[in-house]
Amino acid sequence: MLTTGCSLLRPEPQIVTVTNTVKTTVPIVAHPKKVQLNDVKIYVVSKENYEEFVKEYEAKNGADAYIAISVKDYENLSLNFAELRRYIEQQKQIIVYYENAVKPEEESKETK
Amino acid sequence: MFSSIRIALILVLLAGAGGAVLYVKKLQSDLETARANVAKMEVAVQTSENSLKLVQAETLKLAELNKNLSADLQKAEQYGDELRATLQKHNLTHLANKKPGLIEKRMQNATNKLWDDLESITDPNANNGMQSTETGTADSNSN
Repeated sequence: MLTTGCSLLRPEPQIVTVTNTVKTTVPIVAHPKKVQLNDVKIYVVSKENYEEFVKEYEAKNGADAYIAISVKDYENLSLNFAELRRYIEQQKQIIVYYENAVKPEEESKETK
Repeated sequence: MFSSIRIALILVLLAGAGGAVLYVKKLQSDLETARANVAKMEVAVQTSENSLKLVQAETLKLAELNKNLSADLQKAEQYGDELRATLQKHNLTHLANKKPGLIEKRMQNATNKLWDDLESITDPNANNGMQSTETGTADSNSN
């Protein structure tokens, strides 16, 4: 009694467990509408077809003023477009990655 | 004299017995609380284990998504690589000099295809996977 007497004054502590799961819901916004590009007519002109080109061009466009681009620059333009295309594709993939990462479990399983 | 001592002894015994009863009751109460605590701890451990499983599942999911993303990012490089290879393979200046009509047609087709591809990859209604790059630079003089 004397040795355990103090325990009478000190009750067994109550354990309180609180489980609170908070999952952030990020709404997925709609993607922008697709690009709408205009047609571009390309003329390849060399000594072989220069005369023919001038006649045809003038008849079609009513003038003989045009913007010329060298073959090398055309190649550079193509490579620049390829770079832009790569960037768009990769950016789109990263957006899809984040969308899948924040999607609820059931929904993301369905899309697999 | 003796009766006073007896009374005192009886009182001490009664007090002792009363104290013992109270002590046992306290022990029983503590035992109940301890049992309840054990049950709660078991629930807490279970919750922790479930949380850990959830974290592990999330980690696996993110690893899988990361793997897919890396593959898709790599795939997006394909068009540019193919185009560079095509441009290195052919001497466009020479071909344009010799066969301007043929090259014009091919450049026009490749350019039209590029516009179509750009419209397709930016279409939100298209599927999420990247569009095929297989035909991206199939034309030997593509844009």
